Amino acid sequence: MEQESVVQYEPVAEIGGGAYGTVYKARDRDSGQFVALKSVRVQTNQDGLPLSTVREVALLKRLEQFDHPNIVRLMDVCATLRTDQETKVTLVFEHVDQDLRTYLEKVPAPGLPIQQIRDLMQQLLCGLAFLHSNRVLHRDLKPENILVTSRGQVKLADFGLARIYSCHMVLTPVVVTLWYRCPEVLLQTTYATPVDIWSTGCIFAEMFRRTPLFCGESEVDQLGKIFAVIGLPSEEEWPNDVTLSRQNFSPQNPQPITDCVPEISEKGAELLLEMLTFDPLKRISAFNALDHPFFTE
Amino acid sequence: MMKRMHAEDELTKAAATGNTCRVQFLLSNRVNVNNVNTFGRTPIQVMMMGNTPLAHLLLKYGADPNLPDPGTGSTPLHDAARAGFMDTVQLLILFNADPNATDHCNLRPVDVARQADHVDVVEFLSRF
Repeated sequence: MEQESVVQYEPVAEIGGGAYGTVYKARDRDSGQFVALKSVRVQTNQDGLPLSTVREVALLKRLEQFDHPNIVRLMDVCATLRTDQETKVTLVFEHVDQDLRTYLEKVPAPGLPIQQIRDLMQQLLCGLAFLHSNRVLHRDLKPENILVTSRGQVKLADFGLARIYSCHMVLTPVVVTLWYRCPEVLLQTTYATPVDIWSTGCIFAEMFRRTPLFCGESEVDQLGKIFAVIGLPSEEEWPNDVTLSRQNFSPQNPQPITDCVPEISEKGAELLLEMLTFDPLKRISAFNALDHPFFTE
Repeated sequence: MMKRMHAEDELTKAAATGNTCRVQFLLSNRVNVNNVNTFGRTPIQVMMMGNTPLAHLLLKYGADPNLPDPGTGSTPLHDAARAGFMDTVQLLILFNADPNATDHCNLRPVDVARQADHVDVVEFLSRF
């Protein structure tokens, strides 16, 4: 990490912020292009940066060396000493001026052709399979951090930051969307790579619907909306180690997924159900999803 | 703690993140479309270039499409052309963006589109 101030990048607007730090849209003076600056304030001592931060940044830099087409470029990392006890670590990412939300909003009726959905999904899953094979979870996949270039290239953003942030988070309530969150996270049980597949399933459905699939207003409401579609899981499937009991939800049978996503194809519906599977261990992986007949039908 | 943002910063944030509803709300509550934020930029200078409906909204409210970036001299047309968003390029031209504006490197929007290999944008802008 270079010990330099971030003069090469001039912020033009704050685009995100929260407990962990602030995100800016900025201009790279050298190239003239826009970049995204994501900074996190880290407590330091005489040994310098905490090992956990150094590890996470090193992991992001290692990912970058693969130059994967479906994740945003990490262009630079800067560390600025603010005080004796605090250092600001700034990650400089490629900025793409269109996200999937905007992309879907622009689509005229009757919606995206299935061939285009197939292409977007394939790229999204490629990016995800790459992250997962490097043991990186995204944890907050949503249309706002799936970027789409003017050439239709999908690039995932905001991956691997959750762990950097969570180490240093001051606990302030930040409004985060629940709509793409999987049951195991809503139930506060252990989780792993399948969390991102759940989100991908929600986004897959949204590509057809052009409106989100499950719009819950609280964790319990979100789970209720999920079970209204996939059915209430059986007693055996319900995890043991959770505080929220199954009795809080009314018994429901699974609805045909085509009721929620009428435009989907037969193979698409099969894939969607494999992504929206309650049990994370039975949920399809990114690698297997890429091999699904939906992509060749 | 979340700090309170100035209306101008809220508007540029909504524009940069492509939040059309929020932009509409702020504009209809009389936040001036040509006011600058903390960083001296107007909403159209920092908007999500691929969000053409949002660009249209700002332009309808009278956003000046010819303000150059103080750092690089790029106009919104340069930025839309560099990123290859053809529909936004066409819209900006429709609202009197200057196709021959030059940035601090003496490049026109068509030149930056050519550098980025956006053939359709180059072809369109070459007509002016």
